[in-house]
Amino acid sequence: MSRGLSPEELALHRVLRDVREEPVIEPDWSELEARLMSAPRPRARAAASGFFGRFALPSAALLVGAGAALFALFPRHAPVAPITKAIATVAVGPLDGDHLNVGAHVSAGKQSVSVEHKGRARWTLDPGASASISDVGEFLTVHLESGAISASVVPNPKSETFAIEVEGTRVAVHGTAFRVEKTGDHVLVEVTEGTVAVEPASTHTDPSFLLRRGSRGSFGFDGRSGTVEGNASVVDRQKSPQSHRQIAAAPAHPEAKLPSPPATPSAIVDANPSPSAAAPAPALPVQPSIADIEAGVSAAVEVVNGCFRKAASASDIRVTASTGVSLTVAGDGSVQSVTFGPPLAPSVEDCAVAGLRHITFAPSVEGATFTRILELKR
Amino acid sequence: MSELPELIERCKAGDDYAFREVFRRHRSDVLRLVQRMTGRAADLEDTVQEVFLQVFRSIKDFRGQSRFSTWLYRVTVNVVLMQRRAARSRPIFNETADETLASDHRELPDDQVARGRRVAAFYRLLDRLSDKKRAVFVLHELEGLSPSEIAKVVGAPVLTVRTRLFYARRELLALLAEEPALHLVVRELTNADSVPSPVPEREST
Repeated sequence: MSRGLSPEELALHRVLRDVREEPVIEPDWSELEARLMSAPRPRARAAASGFFGRFALPSAALLVGAGAALFALFPRHAPVAPITKAIATVAVGPLDGDHLNVGAHVSAGKQSVSVEHKGRARWTLDPGASASISDVGEFLTVHLESGAISASVVPNPKSETFAIEVEGTRVAVHGTAFRVEKTGDHVLVEVTEGTVAVEPASTHTDPSFLLRRGSRGSFGFDGRSGTVEGNASVVDRQKSPQSHRQIAAAPAHPEAKLPSPPATPSAIVDANPSPSAAAPAPALPVQPSIADIEAGVSAAVEVVNGCFRKAASASDIRVTASTGVSLTVAGDGSVQSVTFGPPLAPSVEDCAVAGLRHITFAPSVEGATFTRILELKR
Repeated sequence: MSELPELIERCKAGDDYAFREVFRRHRSDVLRLVQRMTGRAADLEDTVQEVFLQVFRSIKDFRGQSRFSTWLYRVTVNVVLMQRRAARSRPIFNETADETLASDHRELPDDQVARGRRVAAFYRLLDRLSDKKRAVFVLHELEGLSPSEIAKVVGAPVLTVRTRLFYARRELLALLAEEPALHLVVRELTNADSVPSPVPEREST
Protein backbone atom coordinates (compact mmCIF):
# COMPACT_ATOMS: atom_id res chain seq x y z
CA MET A 1 0.00 0.00 0.00
CA SER A 2 1.14 3.54 -0.63
CA ARG A 3 3.20 5.23 2.09
CA GLY A 4 3.01 2.10 4.20
CA LEU A 5 -0.68 2.43 5.12
CA SER A 6 -2.72 -0.73 5.44
CA PRO A 7 -5.89 -1.16 3.38
CA GLU A 8 -7.93 -0.60 6.52
CA GLU A 9 -6.18 2.69 7.21
CA LEU A 10 -6.71 3.80 3.63
CA ALA A 11 -10.35 2.78 3.86
CA LEU A 12 -10.75 4.78 7.06
CA HIS A 13 -9.20 7.82 5.37
CA ARG A 14 -11.60 7.49 2.49
CA VAL A 15 -14.68 7.20 4.65
CA LEU A 16 -13.51 10.12 6.79
CA ARG A 17 -13.28 12.16 3.63
CA ASP A 18 -16.82 11.05 2.77
CA VAL A 19 -18.05 12.14 6.18
CA ARG A 20 -16.29 15.51 5.95
CA GLU A 21 -17.89 16.13 2.57
CA GLU A 22 -21.32 14.99 3.71
CA PRO A 23 -23.63 18.02 3.59
CA VAL A 24 -25.23 19.01 6.85
CA ILE A 25 -29.01 19.10 6.69
CA GLU A 26 -29.90 22.65 7.61
CA PRO A 27 -32.90 22.94 9.88
CA ASP A 28 -35.43 25.76 9.77
CA TRP A 29 -33.14 28.33 11.34
CA SER A 30 -35.86 30.98 11.59
CA GLU A 31 -38.05 28.72 13.66
CA LEU A 32 -35.17 27.60 15.83
CA GLU A 33 -34.08 31.18 16.35
CA ALA A 34 -37.60 32.20 17.29
CA ARG A 35 -37.77 29.39 19.84
CA LEU A 36 -34.40 30.30 21.21
CA MET A 37 -35.08 34.00 21.48
CA SER A 38 -38.37 33.41 23.21
CA ALA A 39 -36.70 31.25 25.86
CA PRO A 40 -35.89 33.00 29.14
CA ARG A 41 -32.30 34.20 29.26
CA PRO A 42 -30.19 35.76 31.96
CA ARG A 43 -30.39 39.52 31.95
CA ALA A 44 -27.61 42.00 32.51
CA ARG A 45 -25.61 41.38 35.64
CA ALA A 46 -25.19 45.09 36.29
CA ALA A 47 -28.67 46.10 35.30
CA ALA A 48 -30.06 45.85 38.77
CA SER A 49 -27.27 47.80 40.41
CA GLY A 50 -26.82 51.55 40.37
CA PHE A 51 -29.30 54.32 39.85
CA PHE A 52 -29.46 54.08 36.06
CA GLY A 53 -29.50 50.31 36.12
CA ARG A 54 -32.46 50.21 38.44
CA PHE A 55 -34.40 52.76 36.40
CA ALA A 56 -33.40 51.59 32.93
CA LEU A 57 -36.57 49.68 32.15
CA PRO A 58 -38.94 52.23 33.66
CA SER A 59 -37.18 54.97 31.70
CA ALA A 60 -37.60 52.99 28.48
CA ALA A 61 -41.25 52.58 29.25
CA LEU A 62 -41.55 56.26 30.09
CA LEU A 63 -40.01 57.25 26.78
CA VAL A 64 -42.40 55.01 24.92
CA GLY A 65 -45.23 56.46 26.93
CA ALA A 66 -44.08 60.02 26.32
CA GLY A 67 -43.94 59.37 22.61
CA ALA A 68 -47.40 57.87 22.71
CA ALA A 69 -48.75 60.79 24.70
CA LEU A 70 -47.27 63.33 22.28
CA PHE A 71 -48.75 61.48 19.40
CA ALA A 72 -52.11 61.33 21.10
CA LEU A 73 -52.00 65.11 21.54
CA PHE A 74 -50.99 65.76 17.95
CA PRO A 75 -52.42 62.93 15.86
CA ARG A 76 -51.26 63.02 12.26
CA HIS A 77 -52.73 59.84 10.86
CA ALA A 78 -54.57 57.01 12.48
CA PRO A 79 -55.26 56.97 16.21
CA VAL A 80 -52.53 55.56 18.34
CA ALA A 81 -52.89 52.01 19.50
CA PRO A 82 -53.41 51.29 23.19
CA ILE A 83 -49.83 52.04 24.12
CA THR A 84 -50.51 51.70 27.84
CA LYS A 85 -51.03 48.02 27.26
CA ALA A 86 -47.80 47.82 25.32
CA ILE A 87 -45.84 49.65 28.00
CA ALA A 88 -46.60 46.88 30.38
CA THR A 89 -44.90 44.46 28.06
CA VAL A 90 -41.66 46.40 27.65
CA ALA A 91 -40.02 44.91 30.68
CA VAL A 92 -40.94 41.33 29.90
CA GLY A 93 -41.05 41.00 26.15
CA PRO A 94 -41.58 42.67 22.81
CA LEU A 95 -44.26 45.25 22.13
CA ASP A 96 -47.11 43.98 20.05
CA GLY A 97 -46.52 45.76 16.75
CA ASP A 98 -49.96 44.88 15.51
CA HIS A 99 -51.30 47.39 18.04
CA LEU A 100 -49.12 50.20 16.75
CA ASN A 101 -50.63 52.34 14.04
CA VAL A 102 -49.00 54.67 11.56
CA GLY A 103 -47.21 57.45 13.40
CA ALA A 104 -46.70 55.50 16.62
CA HIS A 105 -43.38 56.50 18.11
CA VAL A 106 -41.11 54.12 19.98
CA SER A 107 -37.99 55.12 21.89
CA ALA A 108 -35.56 52.94 23.77
CA GLY A 109 -34.02 54.19 26.96
CA LYS A 110 -31.10 52.39 28.54
CA GLN A 111 -32.46 49.05 27.38
CA SER A 112 -33.25 47.87 23.90
CA VAL A 113 -36.90 47.70 22.94
CA SER A 114 -38.34 45.07 20.61
CA VAL A 115 -41.49 45.28 18.57
CA GLU A 116 -43.04 42.21 17.05
CA HIS A 117 -45.47 42.12 14.16
CA LYS A 118 -46.69 38.56 14.45
CA GLY A 119 -45.86 36.43 11.45
CA ARG A 120 -44.17 39.33 9.67
CA ALA A 121 -41.22 40.87 11.42
CA ARG A 122 -39.57 41.69 14.68
CA TRP A 123 -37.40 44.77 15.08
CA THR A 124 -35.30 45.91 17.99
CA LEU A 125 -34.16 49.41 18.81
CA ASP A 126 -30.74 49.65 20.37
CA PRO A 127 -30.55 51.55 23.65
CA GLY A 128 -31.09 55.24 22.98
CA ALA A 129 -32.61 54.73 19.51
CA SER A 130 -36.00 55.96 18.39
CA ALA A 131 -38.26 55.18 15.46
CA SER A 132 -41.79 55.58 14.24
CA ILE A 133 -44.11 53.47 12.16
CA SER A 134 -44.68 54.97 8.75
CA ASP A 135 -46.63 52.18 7.05
CA VAL A 136 -48.48 49.20 8.47
CA GLY A 137 -50.13 47.96 5.31
CA GLU A 138 -48.76 45.39 2.93
CA PHE A 139 -45.39 47.07 3.11
CA LEU A 140 -44.53 47.46 6.75
CA THR A 141 -42.20 50.43 7.10
CA VAL A 142 -40.35 51.79 10.12
CA HIS A 143 -38.75 55.23 10.06
CA LEU A 144 -35.53 55.27 12.08
CA GLU A 145 -35.04 58.66 13.68
CA SER A 146 -31.89 58.03 15.64
CA GLY A 147 -29.64 55.23 16.78
CA ALA A 148 -29.64 51.70 15.48
CA ILE A 149 -32.26 49.13 14.68
CA SER A 150 -31.99 45.45 13.89
CA ALA A 151 -34.72 43.49 12.25
CA SER A 152 -35.61 39.90 11.65
CA VAL A 153 -38.21 39.36 9.01
CA VAL A 154 -40.28 36.28 8.30
CA PRO A 155 -39.51 35.20 4.75
CA ASN A 156 -42.19 36.26 2.33
CA PRO A 157 -42.52 35.34 -1.33
CA LYS A 158 -43.07 39.00 -2.05
CA SER A 159 -40.08 41.26 -1.80
CA GLU A 160 -39.71 44.41 0.23
CA THR A 161 -42.62 43.74 2.54
CA PHE A 162 -40.60 45.28 5.33
CA ALA A 163 -38.41 48.35 5.15
CA ILE A 164 -36.60 50.79 7.36
CA GLU A 165 -36.30 54.38 6.20
CA VAL A 166 -33.65 56.80 7.38
CA GLU A 167 -34.12 60.31 6.01
CA GLY A 168 -34.26 59.77 2.24
CA THR A 169 -32.80 56.28 2.25
CA ARG A 170 -34.87 53.15 2.25
CA VAL A 171 -33.48 49.77 3.29
CA ALA A 172 -35.88 47.13 2.08
CA VAL A 173 -35.91 43.47 2.91
CA HIS A 174 -35.37 40.78 0.35
CA GLY A 175 -34.29 38.32 2.99
CA THR A 176 -34.61 37.94 6.70
CA ALA A 177 -32.28 39.85 9.00
CA PHE A 178 -30.36 43.08 8.96
CA ARG A 179 -29.32 46.04 11.06
CA VAL A 180 -29.53 49.73 10.27
CA GLU A 181 -27.82 52.54 12.13
CA LYS A 182 -28.10 56.28 11.65
CA THR A 183 -24.79 57.99 12.29
CA GLY A 184 -24.36 61.69 11.51
CA ASP A 185 -25.12 62.01 7.84
CA HIS A 186 -24.82 58.35 6.98
CA VAL A 187 -26.78 55.14 7.24
CA LEU A 188 -24.86 52.01 8.14
CA VAL A 189 -26.40 48.72 7.07
CA GLU A 190 -25.25 45.24 8.08
CA VAL A 191 -26.90 42.14 6.66
CA THR A 192 -26.75 38.99 8.73
CA GLU A 193 -29.22 36.92 6.76
CA GLY A 194 -30.71 37.07 3.29
CA THR A 195 -30.54 40.11 1.09
CA VAL A 196 -31.58 43.74 1.47
CA ALA A 197 -31.90 46.50 -1.07
CA VAL A 198 -30.87 50.08 -0.41
CA GLU A 199 -32.72 52.64 -2.45
CA PRO A 200 -34.13 56.14 -2.30
CA ALA A 201 -37.11 56.35 0.03
CA SER A 202 -39.09 57.94 -2.75
CA THR A 203 -38.89 54.84 -4.90
CA HIS A 204 -39.90 51.27 -4.54
CA THR A 205 -38.27 48.28 -6.18
CA ASP A 206 -35.51 50.34 -7.71
CA PRO A 207 -32.47 49.39 -5.65
CA SER A 208 -29.19 51.23 -5.80
CA PHE A 209 -27.35 48.57 -3.81
CA LEU A 210 -27.95 44.96 -2.95
CA LEU A 211 -26.38 43.65 0.23
CA ARG A 212 -26.25 39.95 0.88
CA ARG A 213 -25.50 37.92 3.97
CA GLY A 214 -22.33 39.03 5.73
CA SER A 215 -21.98 42.31 3.88
CA ARG A 216 -22.31 45.88 5.04
CA GLY A 217 -22.35 49.35 3.64
CA SER A 218 -22.40 53.04 4.42
CA PHE A 219 -24.88 55.15 2.52
CA GLY A 220 -25.88 58.76 2.15
CA PHE A 221 -29.36 59.92 2.99
CA ASP A 222 -30.27 60.03 -0.69
CA GLY A 223 -30.36 56.26 -1.03
CA ARG A 224 -28.12 56.50 -4.08
CA SER A 225 -24.60 57.14 -2.85
CA GLY A 226 -22.54 54.89 -0.65
CA THR A 227 -19.87 52.27 -0.32
CA VAL A 228 -20.27 48.56 0.31
CA GLU A 229 -18.09 45.77 1.68
CA GLY A 230 -18.39 42.01 1.43
CA ASN A 231 -20.97 40.22 -0.61
CA ALA A 232 -22.72 43.33 -1.83
CA SER A 233 -23.19 44.89 -5.20
CA VAL A 234 -23.92 48.22 -6.73
CA VAL A 235 -26.80 47.92 -9.11
CA ASP A 236 -25.05 48.92 -12.26
CA ARG A 237 -26.13 47.13 -15.35
CA GLN A 238 -23.01 48.17 -17.22
CA LYS A 239 -20.51 46.61 -14.84
CA SER A 240 -22.04 43.62 -13.09
CA PRO A 241 -21.58 40.16 -14.61
CA GLN A 242 -24.97 39.59 -16.08
CA SER A 243 -26.89 38.36 -19.04
CA HIS A 244 -29.19 40.76 -20.81
CA ARG A 245 -32.00 39.27 -22.88
CA GLN A 246 -34.14 41.24 -25.22
CA ILE A 247 -37.64 39.87 -25.34
CA ALA A 248 -39.34 39.82 -28.69
CA ALA A 249 -42.11 42.35 -28.78
CA ALA A 250 -45.32 40.84 -27.56
CA PRO A 251 -48.61 42.17 -28.76
CA ALA A 252 -49.70 45.10 -26.68
CA HIS A 253 -52.56 44.42 -24.31
CA PRO A 254 -53.81 47.69 -23.00
CA GLU A 255 -56.65 45.95 -21.25
CA ALA A 256 -55.14 42.57 -20.74
CA LYS A 257 -55.19 41.23 -17.24
CA LEU A 258 -52.22 39.54 -15.74
CA PRO A 259 -52.31 35.83 -16.53
CA SER A 260 -52.04 33.35 -13.70
CA PRO A 261 -48.56 32.00 -13.09
CA PRO A 262 -48.16 28.98 -15.32
CA ALA A 263 -47.72 25.60 -13.69
CA THR A 264 -45.30 24.41 -16.32
CA PRO A 265 -43.40 27.23 -17.91
CA SER A 266 -42.47 25.10 -20.86
CA ALA A 267 -46.12 24.98 -21.84
CA ILE A 268 -47.03 28.60 -21.40
CA VAL A 269 -49.88 29.63 -23.58
CA ASP A 270 -51.15 33.15 -23.77
CA ALA A 271 -54.64 32.54 -22.48
CA ASN A 272 -55.79 36.00 -23.40
CA PRO A 273 -55.05 36.68 -27.05
CA SER A 274 -54.92 40.27 -28.03
CA PRO A 275 -58.12 41.74 -29.36
CA SER A 276 -57.48 43.17 -32.76
CA ALA A 277 -59.56 46.22 -32.08
CA ALA A 278 -58.90 47.51 -28.61
CA ALA A 279 -61.29 49.92 -26.98
CA PRO A 280 -59.93 53.38 -26.11
CA ALA A 281 -57.74 53.02 -23.06
CA PRO A 282 -58.63 54.92 -19.91
CA ALA A 283 -56.22 57.54 -18.53
CA LEU A 284 -53.05 55.69 -17.60
CA PRO A 285 -50.95 56.20 -14.49
CA VAL A 286 -47.42 57.44 -15.06
CA GLN A 287 -46.04 54.22 -13.61
CA PRO A 288 -47.67 50.99 -12.51
CA SER A 289 -48.80 50.95 -8.91
CA ILE A 290 -46.83 48.97 -6.36
CA ALA A 291 -49.63 46.42 -6.14
CA ASP A 292 -49.62 45.99 -9.92
CA ILE A 293 -45.87 45.61 -9.97
CA GLU A 294 -45.97 43.04 -7.19
CA ALA A 295 -48.65 41.04 -8.98
CA GLY A 296 -46.64 41.01 -12.19
CA VAL A 297 -43.41 40.26 -10.39
CA SER A 298 -44.99 37.29 -8.62
CA ALA A 299 -45.94 35.83 -11.99
CA ALA A 300 -42.49 36.54 -13.41
CA VAL A 301 -40.76 34.99 -10.41
CA GLU A 302 -42.95 31.93 -10.80
CA VAL A 303 -41.86 31.62 -14.42
CA VAL A 304 -38.16 31.80 -13.57
CA ASN A 305 -38.57 29.42 -10.66
CA GLY A 306 -40.45 26.98 -12.85
CA CYS A 307 -37.73 27.06 -15.48
CA PHE A 308 -35.08 26.47 -12.85
CA ARG A 309 -36.94 23.54 -11.36
CA LYS A 310 -37.64 22.11 -14.79
CA ALA A 311 -33.93 21.99 -15.47
CA ALA A 312 -33.65 19.64 -12.50
CA SER A 313 -35.20 16.74 -14.34
CA ALA A 314 -31.85 15.86 -15.88
CA SER A 315 -30.12 15.68 -12.53
CA ASP A 316 -30.95 14.69 -8.99
CA ILE A 317 -28.31 16.88 -7.46
CA ARG A 318 -29.71 19.60 -5.26
CA VAL A 319 -28.79 23.00 -6.63
CA THR A 320 -29.38 26.48 -5.31
CA ALA A 321 -28.66 29.70 -7.10
CA SER A 322 -29.05 33.37 -6.40
CA THR A 323 -29.49 35.90 -9.12
CA GLY A 324 -30.80 39.39 -9.60
CA VAL A 325 -33.52 39.62 -12.21
CA SER A 326 -34.15 43.04 -13.69
CA LEU A 327 -37.26 43.47 -15.78
CA THR A 328 -37.95 46.35 -18.09
CA VAL A 329 -41.63 46.78 -18.73
CA ALA A 330 -42.96 48.92 -21.55
CA GLY A 331 -45.87 51.29 -21.22
CA ASP A 332 -48.22 48.74 -22.73
CA GLY A 333 -47.33 46.31 -19.94
CA SER A 334 -45.25 43.93 -22.01
CA VAL A 335 -41.85 42.80 -20.75
CA GLN A 336 -39.24 44.31 -23.05
CA SER A 337 -36.08 42.88 -21.64
CA VAL A 338 -34.73 40.88 -18.76
CA THR A 339 -31.29 40.90 -17.22
CA PHE A 340 -29.92 38.09 -15.08
CA GLY A 341 -27.01 39.03 -12.86
CA PRO A 342 -25.20 36.75 -12.41
CA PRO A 343 -26.37 34.81 -15.46
CA LEU A 344 -28.27 31.54 -15.20
CA ALA A 345 -27.75 28.50 -17.40
CA PRO A 346 -28.64 29.35 -21.01
CA SER A 347 -31.41 26.75 -21.06
CA VAL A 348 -32.98 28.27 -17.95
CA GLU A 349 -32.71 31.78 -19.36
CA ASP A 350 -34.18 30.68 -22.69
CA CYS A 351 -37.11 29.09 -20.88
CA ALA A 352 -37.60 32.19 -18.71
CA VAL A 353 -37.50 34.53 -21.70
CA ALA A 354 -40.13 32.40 -23.44
CA GLY A 355 -42.32 32.51 -20.35
CA LEU A 356 -41.87 36.20 -19.64
CA ARG A 357 -43.01 36.98 -23.17
CA HIS A 358 -46.50 36.02 -22.09
CA ILE A 359 -46.58 38.03 -18.90
CA THR A 360 -48.31 41.34 -19.02
CA PHE A 361 -48.10 44.08 -16.44
CA ALA A 362 -50.65 46.79 -15.90
CA PRO A 363 -50.24 49.46 -18.57
CA SER A 364 -48.81 52.85 -17.69
CA VAL A 365 -47.38 55.88 -19.44
CA GLU A 366 -43.72 55.32 -18.72
CA GLY A 367 -43.52 51.63 -17.90
CA ALA A 368 -41.07 50.60 -15.21
CA THR A 369 -37.81 48.85 -14.47
CA PHE A 370 -37.29 46.90 -11.30
CA THR A 371 -35.03 44.27 -9.82
CA ARG A 372 -35.64 41.25 -7.66
CA ILE A 373 -33.17 38.91 -6.02
CA LEU A 374 -34.25 35.32 -6.49
CA GLU A 375 -33.10 32.41 -4.39
CA LEU A 376 -33.67 29.45 -6.68
CA LYS A 377 -33.71 25.87 -5.42
CA ARG A 378 -34.24 22.52 -7.01
CA MET B 1 -20.17 43.90 11.55
CA SER B 2 -19.52 43.87 15.26
CA GLU B 3 -16.36 42.19 16.49
CA LEU B 4 -16.77 39.00 18.50
CA PRO B 5 -15.38 40.29 21.83
CA GLU B 6 -17.78 43.22 21.68
CA LEU B 7 -20.66 40.88 20.90
CA ILE B 8 -19.77 38.66 23.82
CA GLU B 9 -19.70 41.62 26.18
CA ARG B 10 -23.09 42.68 24.90
CA CYS B 11 -24.38 39.14 25.43
CA LYS B 12 -23.16 39.32 29.00
CA ALA B 13 -25.15 42.54 29.34
CA GLY B 14 -28.27 40.76 28.12
CA ASP B 15 -28.41 42.30 24.64
CA ASP B 16 -30.87 40.30 22.56
CA TYR B 17 -29.37 41.47 19.30
CA ALA B 18 -25.96 40.22 20.36
CA PHE B 19 -27.43 36.84 21.36
CA ARG B 20 -29.05 36.56 17.99
CA GLU B 21 -25.87 37.54 16.21
CA VAL B 22 -23.79 34.99 18.12
CA PHE B 23 -26.37 32.35 17.25
CA ARG B 24 -26.32 33.23 13.58
CA ARG B 25 -22.55 33.30 13.34
CA HIS B 26 -21.96 29.98 15.06
CA ARG B 27 -25.07 27.91 14.50
CA SER B 28 -23.67 26.07 11.46
CA ASP B 29 -20.50 25.09 13.32
CA VAL B 30 -22.55 23.81 16.24
CA LEU B 31 -24.94 21.94 13.97
CA ARG B 32 -22.09 20.28 12.12
CA LEU B 33 -20.35 19.19 15.32
CA VAL B 34 -23.58 17.89 16.82
CA GLN B 35 -24.31 15.89 13.69
CA ARG B 36 -20.82 14.44 13.68
CA MET B 37 -20.91 13.65 17.36
CA THR B 38 -24.28 11.94 17.18
CA GLY B 39 -24.51 10.79 13.58
CA ARG B 40 -28.25 11.32 13.70
CA ALA B 41 -30.52 13.80 12.05
CA ALA B 42 -33.53 13.27 14.30
CA ASP B 43 -32.68 15.32 17.37
CA LEU B 44 -30.30 17.81 15.81
CA GLU B 45 -32.47 20.87 16.24
CA ASP B 46 -33.22 20.15 19.88
CA THR B 47 -29.58 19.59 20.62
CA VAL B 48 -28.49 22.76 18.85
CA GLN B 49 -31.14 24.69 20.75
CA GLU B 50 -29.93 23.22 24.03
CA VAL B 51 -26.34 24.15 23.16
CA PHE B 52 -27.24 27.80 22.62
CA LEU B 53 -29.43 27.93 25.69
CA GLN B 54 -26.43 26.66 27.59
CA VAL B 55 -24.22 29.24 25.87
CA PHE B 56 -26.56 32.06 26.84
CA ARG B 57 -26.81 30.81 30.41
CA SER B 58 -23.11 30.49 30.94
CA ILE B 59 -21.58 33.11 28.68
CA LYS B 60 -21.04 35.29 31.73
CA ASP B 61 -18.46 32.69 32.78
CA PHE B 62 -16.52 33.01 29.53
CA ARG B 63 -13.39 34.91 30.51
CA GLY B 64 -11.71 35.02 27.14
CA GLN B 65 -8.83 32.84 28.28
CA SER B 66 -9.41 30.54 25.33
CA ARG B 67 -10.87 31.24 21.95
CA PHE B 68 -14.64 31.56 21.88
CA SER B 69 -14.84 28.75 19.33
CA THR B 70 -12.95 26.46 21.72
CA TRP B 71 -15.33 27.35 24.53
CA LEU B 72 -18.29 26.79 22.21
CA TYR B 73 -16.92 23.37 21.24
CA ARG B 74 -16.64 22.55 24.91
CA VAL B 75 -20.25 23.51 25.58
CA THR B 76 -21.39 21.55 22.53
CA VAL B 77 -19.49 18.41 23.45
CA ASN B 78 -20.81 18.58 27.01
CA VAL B 79 -24.40 18.99 25.88
CA VAL B 80 -24.12 16.08 23.45
CA LEU B 81 -22.56 13.84 26.08
CA MET B 82 -25.20 14.83 28.65
CA GLN B 83 -27.96 14.03 26.19
CA ARG B 84 -26.40 10.68 25.38
CA ARG B 85 -26.19 9.81 29.05
CA ALA B 86 -29.82 10.80 29.50
CA ALA B 87 -30.80 8.78 26.44
CA ARG B 88 -29.16 5.67 27.86
CA SER B 89 -31.55 5.76 30.79
CA ARG B 90 -34.53 5.79 28.47
CA PRO B 91 -35.92 2.84 26.50
CA ILE B 92 -34.11 2.42 23.21
CA PHE B 93 -36.03 1.83 20.05
CA ASN B 94 -34.22 0.22 17.18
CA GLU B 95 -33.50 2.89 14.64
CA THR B 96 -34.48 2.25 11.08
CA ALA B 97 -31.40 3.84 9.67
CA ASP B 98 -31.02 1.39 6.84
CA GLU B 99 -34.62 1.71 5.74
CA THR B 100 -34.47 5.46 5.87
CA LEU B 101 -31.28 5.42 3.92
CA ALA B 102 -32.73 3.16 1.32
CA SER B 103 -35.82 5.26 0.82
CA ASP B 104 -33.95 8.56 0.87
CA HIS B 105 -31.46 7.40 -1.67
CA ARG B 106 -33.79 5.72 -4.10
CA GLU B 107 -33.43 8.43 -6.69
CA LEU B 108 -29.78 9.19 -6.17
CA PRO B 109 -26.97 8.01 -8.41
CA ASP B 110 -25.27 4.78 -7.34
CA ASP B 111 -22.09 6.45 -6.13
CA GLN B 112 -24.08 8.73 -3.86
CA VAL B 113 -26.02 5.79 -2.48
CA ALA B 114 -22.75 3.97 -1.82
CA ARG B 115 -21.30 7.01 -0.14
CA GLY B 116 -24.39 7.42 2.02
CA ARG B 117 -24.09 3.80 3.11
CA ARG B 118 -20.42 4.23 3.97
CA VAL B 119 -21.19 7.33 6.04
CA ALA B 120 -24.05 5.60 7.87
CA ALA B 121 -21.84 2.58 8.54
CA PHE B 122 -19.07 4.81 9.84
CA TYR B 123 -21.44 6.48 12.30
CA ARG B 124 -22.57 3.07 13.53
CA LEU B 125 -18.96 2.21 14.24
CA LEU B 126 -18.33 5.56 15.85
CA ASP B 127 -21.29 4.92 18.10
CA ARG B 128 -19.52 1.87 19.48
CA LEU B 129 -16.61 3.89 20.80
CA SER B 130 -16.69 5.26 24.31
CA ASP B 131 -17.88 8.86 24.68
CA LYS B 132 -14.39 10.11 25.43
CA LYS B 133 -12.76 8.41 22.49
CA ARG B 134 -15.51 9.39 20.12
CA ALA B 135 -15.30 13.04 21.16
CA VAL B 136 -11.56 13.36 20.57
CA PHE B 137 -11.75 11.38 17.34
CA VAL B 138 -14.49 13.60 15.91
CA LEU B 139 -12.79 16.79 17.03
CA HIS B 140 -9.47 15.73 15.52
CA GLU B 141 -10.36 13.81 12.38
CA LEU B 142 -13.52 15.62 11.33
CA GLU B 143 -13.28 19.07 12.88
CA GLY B 144 -9.53 19.38 12.39
CA LEU B 145 -8.63 20.46 15.93
CA SER B 146 -5.13 19.85 17.20
CA PRO B 147 -4.60 17.66 20.28
CA SER B 148 -3.74 20.75 22.33
CA GLU B 149 -6.99 22.45 21.29
CA ILE B 150 -8.92 19.27 22.03
CA ALA B 151 -7.30 19.14 25.44
CA LYS B 152 -8.85 22.53 26.22
CA VAL B 153 -12.23 21.41 24.90
CA VAL B 154 -12.45 18.18 26.85
CA GLY B 155 -10.45 19.35 29.86
CA ALA B 156 -7.83 16.62 29.72
CA PRO B 157 -4.04 16.61 29.33
CA VAL B 158 -2.69 16.59 25.77
CA LEU B 159 -1.09 13.22 26.33
CA THR B 160 -4.45 11.76 27.35
CA VAL B 161 -5.99 13.17 24.19
CA ARG B 162 -3.28 11.58 22.07
CA THR B 163 -3.80 8.25 23.82
CA ARG B 164 -7.56 8.36 23.29
CA LEU B 165 -7.00 9.21 19.63
CA PHE B 166 -4.66 6.28 19.20
CA TYR B 167 -7.06 3.79 20.73
CA ALA B 168 -10.08 5.26 18.96
CA ARG B 169 -8.37 4.85 15.62
CA ARG B 170 -7.21 1.32 16.45
CA GLU B 171 -10.71 0.25 17.51
CA LEU B 172 -12.27 1.69 14.39
CA LEU B 173 -9.76 -0.07 12.15
CA ALA B 174 -10.54 -3.34 13.88
CA LEU B 175 -14.28 -2.76 13.49
CA LEU B 176 -14.19 -1.87 9.78
CA ALA B 177 -14.61 -5.47 8.70
CA GLU B 178 -17.90 -5.73 10.55
CA GLU B 179 -19.58 -3.22 8.29
CA PRO B 180 -20.08 -4.56 4.76
CA ALA B 181 -20.09 -1.09 3.19
CA LEU B 182 -16.73 -0.33 4.73
CA HIS B 183 -15.30 -3.75 4.15
CA LEU B 184 -16.06 -3.23 0.49
CA VAL B 185 -13.79 -0.21 0.51
CA VAL B 186 -11.03 -2.27 2.09
CA ARG B 187 -11.47 -4.85 -0.66
CA GLU B 188 -11.35 -2.23 -3.36
CA LEU B 189 -8.12 -0.93 -1.96
CA THR B 190 -6.45 -4.30 -2.00
CA ASN B 191 -6.77 -7.34 -4.16
CA ALA B 192 -10.48 -8.17 -4.06
CA ASP B 193 -9.78 -11.88 -3.99
CA SER B 194 -7.35 -11.73 -1.12
CA VAL B 195 -9.72 -10.29 1.44
CA PRO B 196 -12.58 -12.67 2.18
CA SER B 197 -15.83 -11.06 3.08
CA PRO B 198 -16.94 -11.50 6.66
CA VAL B 199 -20.57 -11.41 5.50
CA PRO B 200 -20.70 -13.94 2.65
CA GLU B 201 -24.49 -14.04 2.47
CA ARG B 202 -24.54 -10.44 1.24
CA GLU B 203 -21.96 -11.10 -1.44
CA SER B 204 -24.61 -12.08 -3.95
CA THR B 205 -25.90 -8.53 -4.02
